[in-house]
Amino acid sequence: MPKVTAMMIVRNEANRYLERCLKALTNYVDELVILDDASTDATPEICLSFPMVKLYCRDTPLFLKDEAQLRHELWHYTVATNPEWILALDADEFLETRAVRELPYLLKQDFFPAISFRLFDCWGREDYYRVDGLWNPWLRGFSIYLVKYQPWLDAAWPLQKFHCGRLPLAYRHLPHLESDLRIKHLGWANPADIRAKYERAVSQDPTFKYMPREHYESILWPADKIKLEKWQD
Amino acid sequence: MTTKKVALLTTNFFHPTNERIIMGGAERYQVDLCRLLRELGFYVEVWQIGSGWTREFDGVRIRSIPVSRSEYHTFPDLSTAFYENSMAFDYAIYFILTLAYPIAREKSIAISHGIFWDWPGFDLMAGRLEERQEWLRRLGIALTGPQKLISVDTNTINFFNATLPGFYHKWEYIPNYVDTDLFHPPEEEKNSTDTIRVLFPRRLVPVRGINETMRAAEKLTARYPWIEFHFCGRGHDDNAERLMSQWIATQERCFYYWKPLEMMPEVYRQADIVIIPSRSTEGTSLAALEAMASGRPVIAGLAGGLSDIVLHGYNGYLIKPTVENLVAAIEDLARDKAKRQIMGQRAREVAMTFNRKIWAERWARVLETVFR
Repeated sequence: MPKVTAMMIVRNEANRYLERCLKALTNYVDELVILDDASTDATPEICLSFPMVKLYCRDTPLFLKDEAQLRHELWHYTVATNPEWILALDADEFLETRAVRELPYLLKQDFFPAISFRLFDCWGREDYYRVDGLWNPWLRGFSIYLVKYQPWLDAAWPLQKFHCGRLPLAYRHLPHLESDLRIKHLGWANPADIRAKYERAVSQDPTFKYMPREHYESILWPADKIKLEKWQD
Repeated sequence: MTTKKVALLTTNFFHPTNERIIMGGAERYQVDLCRLLRELGFYVEVWQIGSGWTREFDGVRIRSIPVSRSEYHTFPDLSTAFYENSMAFDYAIYFILTLAYPIAREKSIAISHGIFWDWPGFDLMAGRLEERQEWLRRLGIALTGPQKLISVDTNTINFFNATLPGFYHKWEYIPNYVDTDLFHPPEEEKNSTDTIRVLFPRRLVPVRGINETMRAAEKLTARYPWIEFHFCGRGHDDNAERLMSQWIATQERCFYYWKPLEMMPEVYRQADIVIIPSRSTEGTSLAALEAMASGRPVIAGLAGGLSDIVLHGYNGYLIKPTVENLVAAIEDLARDKAKRQIMGQRAREVAMTFNRKIWAERWARVLETVFR
């Protein structure tokens, strides 16, 4: 089986989904490179309790200042593990369970150097995802999360500090296979997190350069305006 | 001896504006043909519509020509630009018949993947007599240029011999193919007769009979608690896939997904009955051949070249794919294990004569006569 290295940026994930996420990843990745962005909780200890994890820790947080620089650093550590494929997931994202059985086929195929997936934003709970407006996972398309490592490709990020993407720009232009495996995103699943996440998102994009104002405002919509669909396994 | 260069002209291998690429039958054919040409020692490049970008896929350079005008189902600007700019190439392949209009390279071959003008929408677009005449006139010119015309089914050849006669000697029948080593029946057929899985391994488009199949699935799953329907294929846009997912969520024992090519042999092996209920625009369907090679009886629609590979009552059923006919045919096979088995075995035997090696040999012979 081709070697898969996953890479991840974490910060203060101890009371969130980190442990579950790492446990899930042990099922299909060979190594996991984690860059800890100066956590102040038990995040590093949780990471290190998994033998496949290679942990790198920063003393000062960088994510909110220059995400691209942080991503670039993580990429550098990741390719040092000599991977054949690289999987870029966050600590609150889960490939659905059948991925364990189906990923080997994606890794062994040789037509496509990149695999894209649909992301489903669970909203306020873990078994329903959001489908109104730009949240609709069926209509907003696929994003690349899994790429074949190609040392000859340029590893540069676009010149922007936020919303810079998880992978080097060159990898995002590869012909990709759109997989029907879904990614469950739990970032919005806890109602207590939603307001803080809204404030962070708006403070990072005060001029609404990356997303329309309405989309940010829809984060705080009352329950009756939000449309949900049940997650079927 | 220097390496001879072949340019293959097509319209959209990559979507002209983005990276989206869905490996349908025609795309797979193109990849396989390029591989064959390279195995035979040719250098191959693909040319298509696009903004002028150059990309690579499967080790083949793909160039785009920034033209997009199409009229009467031909692409005169694309064909002319290709003709003028591909002089450095020794030979050409027109991946779509009409691309050989209005001018074709001298040492060239054109391919027909089956008749696509038998769907009702075509009549809406080219229904007026003078438009139809102009379209046919252009087709006649497209047939004149290339030295050989390849057809994946006999249906197309018969149509042209009756409609635009005089090209009989140019036509070569090279039906589609299947890798019979990759697609094979399971080592051991499952014993349990508990569940019957019906597989629809097609894209979600009306001409492939998706709507009839959905209705038939509703009826049959309501009637038999042991029947399952599996819809395995992409939609043409995100909306089609969303609507399908929503419909599936309301159904018992119906499933929707798609799989990478590498998983398809397993998908066929897990099915009991495979349906290819096309109404039109069909050649010798790769999906039908793959199902047959996997030892599965095929219920096929009466369209295009499906009658070249399915004999009604021998290795499957060839039906007009109405809901009633589909329900009856599926019911018949679902309830009769012995029939499924014997038809499945025969399907495998028939598929052996469409082996990929035979396809490659036939192509090699044609290439020998033209590319010299």
